[in-house]
Amino acid sequence: MSATTTPARPSQLSTALARDRLGVAAVVFFVMSAAAPLTVVAGVVPTGLAVTGLTAISIAFLAVAVVLAIFAVGYVAMARHIANAGAFYAYVAQGIGRPFGVGASWVALLAYNSFQVASYGGFGAIASPLFADWFGVDVQWWVIALVAWALVAVLGVRDVAVNGKVLATLLVAEIILVAVFSVADLFAPDFAASSAPLNPGSLVGAGAGALLVMAVTGFVGFEQSVVFSEESRDPRRTVPRATYIAVALIAVLYAFSAWAMISATGGQAVERAGTEGPELFFNLASDRLGSTALHLGHALFLTSLIAAMISFHNIIARYTFSLGREGVLPRAFGRTVPGTGAPKNGSLLQSGIGLAVILLYAVMGWDPLVQLFFWGGTTGGIGVLLLITVTSLAVIGYFLRHPSGEDAWHRIGAPVIGTVLLFVVTYLALTNIATLFGVEPGSEPTWVVPLAYAVVTLAGVGWALVLRRTRRAVYEGIGLGARSATTGYSFSEAVK
Amino acid sequence: MSSSQLPLADDLYLAAHDSARSRCLLTPATLGLGLAAALLAELVLWRRLDVRDNHIVVIDDQPTPDPATAAVLGQLLRESHHRRIRDWISFLATGVATDLVERRLARAGVVQRQEKRGLLGTKVRFVPVDTSVAGWPGTRIRIAAGRGEMLDTSDLVLTGLVLATGLDQHVLVTLEAHERDQLFGQLRRRLPAMLQHLVGHAEAAVGDAVMARRA
Repeated sequence: MSATTTPARPSQLSTALARDRLGVAAVVFFVMSAAAPLTVVAGVVPTGLAVTGLTAISIAFLAVAVVLAIFAVGYVAMARHIANAGAFYAYVAQGIGRPFGVGASWVALLAYNSFQVASYGGFGAIASPLFADWFGVDVQWWVIALVAWALVAVLGVRDVAVNGKVLATLLVAEIILVAVFSVADLFAPDFAASSAPLNPGSLVGAGAGALLVMAVTGFVGFEQSVVFSEESRDPRRTVPRATYIAVALIAVLYAFSAWAMISATGGQAVERAGTEGPELFFNLASDRLGSTALHLGHALFLTSLIAAMISFHNIIARYTFSLGREGVLPRAFGRTVPGTGAPKNGSLLQSGIGLAVILLYAVMGWDPLVQLFFWGGTTGGIGVLLLITVTSLAVIGYFLRHPSGEDAWHRIGAPVIGTVLLFVVTYLALTNIATLFGVEPGSEPTWVVPLAYAVVTLAGVGWALVLRRTRRAVYEGIGLGARSATTGYSFSEAVK
Repeated sequence: MSSSQLPLADDLYLAAHDSARSRCLLTPATLGLGLAAALLAELVLWRRLDVRDNHIVVIDDQPTPDPATAAVLGQLLRESHHRRIRDWISFLATGVATDLVERRLARAGVVQRQEKRGLLGTKVRFVPVDTSVAGWPGTRIRIAAGRGEMLDTSDLVLTGLVLATGLDQHVLVTLEAHERDQLFGQLRRRLPAMLQHLVGHAEAAVGDAVMARRA
């Protein structure tokens, strides 16, 4: 919306529109709170150590950060040119083709929902022993998970987002806590600076794929920066800067804290992670920091997990809304509650899925920490990795057809390098699922997860082809999201 | 009940308020987007603007007799380097449109300014003087749809904006399926393409506001 000529006096229109626009810091905050740092450091890393037995996680975080930064060059460049930039499938629809776009959109729904249900399991499993410790009550994990679920469901349907300032405060507190606890690790009695977490050799060894997926899982949320492409002060600078800053901050924070944690165990990382689970992060530092810091850390862990659940639930509800608006999912999902603007049906669908999964795990007696939190999270991580890889390919495809407005590095250079690297990572990930899940090669999770993504992709492609034959206007609008002036919900439907 | 019709944006404002409890049925952001599009549509009906693709073209710079649309037209003329419809809808939706419409309604004596002192300062709101007048725009559409009567262009745009803002969940919820079909048929056949386009942009803006958490 840049003016072609310099106006003689300041334009009221430009000023009014600029007032609401976001700067770099706001976008970084949004992205990092979706990434939920404390959940990753205290939850994913120790559980990952225990399940996979692999310790080279710091180098994996750094390597993935480099790959994602290269990917982001083309990604944020394309975001400036397309509508609905917050959704991977919009890139795929415009860069590769609409059928694969629908496939990608369904993969994204599955992946994001995996994260969401994983967080319910994680919350229940982590809070249950804490409640026993604090209040002396013995509550089943699934009872706590259901309470958290109900809270998220009610807030989601009313579209109560966590207040931006609260979220920012929680995030800053989380980051400080991770940093302080990690520094305290350096003074733990058993501390012995370990080179294992940083060994680059492990990125080509056995289990490399598992490490990389865990690392990708830690970064999920960074892709949301482009949601604000049109809302940012300077579309060419704000979003790219915010994305690189967020990726770099996340990488350094995770790599350092994982290294400190593993070093502080004095070579017992895998064993202690196995027995202590998420408590490992707190136990190691509490020797030096005392019990007040420990309680504070635990409380913050739970509140930040709740905040992350609410944010993520809202992201999923909006994703579903956008698909309903396009007509790729039933139109009812494209409706909001007029008085609140809440994408109600998308929210209800997500809550339905969450409830079903919690109840299933409760009835079957499956383990909430490993089999729900960790498996669910890494399943989501695999899905997001697949999406990023395909999106990277789509960026190349898009700029081959629309080369104007970007230089060769943004159009071809970075996207090609990024795509090659991402294909390598994806290959390693898919061949390492057994290690990632800590199960025997060939057992159920190793084929169920890739098969689920394959089935969902094919179903999406099939549905797109049906739409092409039967509802051409809907097909044409795939990937345009709520933006499309021809495929919106009710008015456009009415006049079609 | 007088059948005299208020300007389009005023009708939309009234349709968006629960007359019994004088409560807005839309979020301020969505109301703003609807009213922004309604004011632009009024200027199209005044034959001052054309809508071409994604742009606004001023075809006549004569001020309109009505101060609210005259203010918008004046702004359009001053900022001639901005012509994208979506920019204008967004700009007017920042509170400009709501403000203009509230003042116009107050001048016409349809609503009254009311100050409510609370703990956190004074809240200003506008309440209808006569609730039957306030309920009239919604009722008019429902009656026309029920009797299969033709709506005029202004009411067709109003119906379109009711749909685009999601207000149909309040205003049109009692319609039977065949009444709804009849109404949609009219929109399809009788709403001029230019105005269909404008309402489509308003609907897209409402959707984008939801996606960007501004709704």
